[in-house]
Amino acid sequence: MLRSCVCLQNGGSGKRRSSSVEDASSCRSSEIERVGASMQTTTLGSNGQPQTLTPPTSTRASSLLQLFQRKGWCKHFRKPLRGMSATRAEKTIRAAIFIQKWYRRHQARQEMRKRCNWQIFQNVEYACEQDQAELYKFFNDLIKHMPQAIEAGNKGQTSKQSIGPEKSATLYEETGEMARIQLELPIQKKHIDLMIDVFRKKRGNRLHPKYVCMILREAAKCLKQMPNLWMVSTAVSQQVTICGDLHGKLDDLLVVLYKNGLPSASNPYVFNGDFVDRGKRGLEVLLLLLSLYLAFPNAVFLNRGNHEDSVMNARYGFIREVEGKYPRNHKRLLSLIDEVYRWLPLGSILNNRVLIVHGGFSDTTNLDLIKSIDRGKYVSILRPPLMDGEALEKAEWQQIFDIMWSDPQASQGCKPNALRGAGVWFGPDTTELFLKRHRLSYVIRSHECKPNGHEFMHDNKVITIFSASNYYAMGSNKGAYMRLNNQLVPHFVQYISAASQTKELSFKQRMGIVECAALKELAVRMREHRDELEADFKKYDPDDSGCITISKWCFVMENVTKLGLPWRLLRDKLAPGTDSQCVNYVRTLDLLDTDVIMEAEADGTSVMDALYANKASLETIFNIIDADHSGEITLDEFEKAIDLLVAHMPGVYSKDEMLEKCRMMDLNGDGKVDLNEFLEAFRLSDLSRKEQQEEYLRKRSTCQRPSESVTRLADTISRNTLVVEHDIDPTDCEAKVVGQKS
Amino acid sequence: MEIAIPLANELEVRISEAFCIFDIHGDKYIDTRNVGNVLRFLGCVPTEKEVNQVIAATESAENPGETHLQKFMAHLSPLLMDRKMEPASAEQILAAFEVLDPENKRFLTKEYFGKLMKEEGEQFNDDEMKAMWRVAIDPITENVPYVFYINQLKHKTTIYDVAEVLKEELASNDKEKKKERNPMP
Repeated sequence: MLRSCVCLQNGGSGKRRSSSVEDASSCRSSEIERVGASMQTTTLGSNGQPQTLTPPTSTRASSLLQLFQRKGWCKHFRKPLRGMSATRAEKTIRAAIFIQKWYRRHQARQEMRKRCNWQIFQNVEYACEQDQAELYKFFNDLIKHMPQAIEAGNKGQTSKQSIGPEKSATLYEETGEMARIQLELPIQKKHIDLMIDVFRKKRGNRLHPKYVCMILREAAKCLKQMPNLWMVSTAVSQQVTICGDLHGKLDDLLVVLYKNGLPSASNPYVFNGDFVDRGKRGLEVLLLLLSLYLAFPNAVFLNRGNHEDSVMNARYGFIREVEGKYPRNHKRLLSLIDEVYRWLPLGSILNNRVLIVHGGFSDTTNLDLIKSIDRGKYVSILRPPLMDGEALEKAEWQQIFDIMWSDPQASQGCKPNALRGAGVWFGPDTTELFLKRHRLSYVIRSHECKPNGHEFMHDNKVITIFSASNYYAMGSNKGAYMRLNNQLVPHFVQYISAASQTKELSFKQRMGIVECAALKELAVRMREHRDELEADFKKYDPDDSGCITISKWCFVMENVTKLGLPWRLLRDKLAPGTDSQCVNYVRTLDLLDTDVIMEAEADGTSVMDALYANKASLETIFNIIDADHSGEITLDEFEKAIDLLVAHMPGVYSKDEMLEKCRMMDLNGDGKVDLNEFLEAFRLSDLSRKEQQEEYLRKRSTCQRPSESVTRLADTISRNTLVVEHDIDPTDCEAKVVGQKS
Repeated sequence: MEIAIPLANELEVRISEAFCIFDIHGDKYIDTRNVGNVLRFLGCVPTEKEVNQVIAATESAENPGETHLQKFMAHLSPLLMDRKMEPASAEQILAAFEVLDPENKRFLTKEYFGKLMKEEGEQFNDDEMKAMWRVAIDPITENVPYVFYINQLKHKTTIYDVAEVLKEELASNDKEKKKERNPMP
């Protein structure tokens, strides 16, 4: 009898389902999921009884088992409605629809949770980028209002922008484990293999600084010879591979090289920018890419991204990474890296038909102009290229910005990208005109993380490719690379690196990890506005009860952070343990003060930190303010600049504070401030800010302890966001080929 | 985010919050394919047919394939006040399952339930099927114990209460206006 039961035979492909809309509401979800997935391979045993994975343990289960063994339940697997009366069939269909719509609502909620997390990550990331872009706008305004800054013939110029690194500077010995390999020029495949073997390990994966310098210097030298736009052709290879953002994810780069092979004349690669920042192995990614370029110069094409920029690196972690790995030589290495950045080409043109750039384009993008720029001027894209009094070509600067920072949008038109604060959003009409004007077929770009590693837009004329899997958190997204054949028809290979780590977890656990990572990022961002939040909350709580209405809580959150997030959905996470009527905002503030969040904040860098860390930017500000190029700034000159600074970075300092700062800066009391005093003042104010914070913390820790639900949530976040380092195993990936869209 | 749409009442605030999760660029447009998700997240339980009706009624003429918040709110608010697409009680879902289980065994077989969901009514596609099994199947018996399953599907909905409050407010405002226009002698 049971032999004929269809449902127990080997049905389906037995493959584990890839990530898509999922559910985690059942308390037995992990068990259900695990068994559910393997169910498709349940077979009949030799005695005709179905083999299940676990023996029925509960009496209910075993009685059900008996039930369907005994009664003629097999009739159910005939076509469900056959043999029923019309009304009964109708009733059944109605019941089916009823159940289906209920189920779909349930699924929508899960989808919502996923989206919510994604939105948190994206909005926080872009809000931070906005801050950086503010710097660009600030400089713009500063220059506009101080045209004398552009005068030729200045004296005693202290700008270090145009000077390359000194060749005779000594390298210092680093302490700690160092890889024992030796490299020499010219770089060859054997060196690549050595490097990959070294970088793969979780320990002892540092090259000797002399080799790092060697690679950086040689790469900058070669890149300098290249035009602004690489000309790539599939004439010889008959195909080409394109990779998007890697962001320090060495494991993803190794997966790509493992699955797709090392570059060669028959296997060329284009890497579309954003090699560093955010991920922890940015230096290794950069060195490996540059080495691949040196070893296979006609098969590797490296485009600059908006993160190939020291101003971004100061904020997004790469500078810290280099400081951490080479504490005694980082200054030298970073200045060599700057050299590489300024000579990286700005994009590629494939077969004269396809443009590959990091961000996108605007309605004013002109490739001829871009081809003719002296790109070496732009050590940082966020800082104006003032060099020995050369006139600033603002239109030119804008051109570079647009191709590095823009994003496609669904609606028509081309408008400033308010989300990022720089570049534009370009619509399908902009794309059409751009392609026509430059006689191109389509554009490949990166810059935006996508759940599936890639996305088509604008009638398949704009393709986004993003190669960093697990970008926001483990399990947050797949990475992908593109392969184009000789006709430039694409297909994609999607993957997740370190797949086994994710597979071991149930869906619920994975969701939990992504959710916790999102909360952590959000909480760190909220900390920047902590005092403002507290003040506003208290405004709506005249009785000092510690509670306000949900609507008011949502209003304050959005008004202060301006992150555009669905606060109502986040309420029970950000104010844990509160009921459905009102919100205990004290819990929100307490959450921000927990250790896990404070540590995460210390780990990151604020705008002001980044500004200070980026000495070159401070110098530039100084030089611009110093309108008459006297080498000193007067209070007058400074006041003009303050107005602009305050307009661009509200909440950082007020005008009075800034003026006070200027007076403080005048350390020798002669009514003027020179560069050293200027830099020192920033360092001091930074110091005093940190001292203030510590004082504040000390005071708070003597007050009452946070509620239990807050502590519990903080523990969960801490547990779920713990990262354990492993050796990289590129074979441990879950790769899938995805065909082209018609 | 950048383009601020004025929200007249609590109902619009709620609708806007759910809507904006899918608004990637902050221009208050979402892909029409997400309209169903928005409705369901708000707490409505529409059939696919009802979702398509809402899509058709709110799709942007200037940007096909996109839906704008304003039009969406204007169309949806009256529907919510009329209690359309409202979730039924747990008893009603139970009754639906009982229609499928005439022998009252309190479970359905995977085979039968799967076929029904896939072939009848507003059919599930492969992805929906796979995802559904995660919730519906008892791994031990490999059946669908629907009473347990129903408990997984229940979620509290407050949007209709919010709509009700708004409806009453508007009704009393109307009454006030009428009184003003026609004062009692």
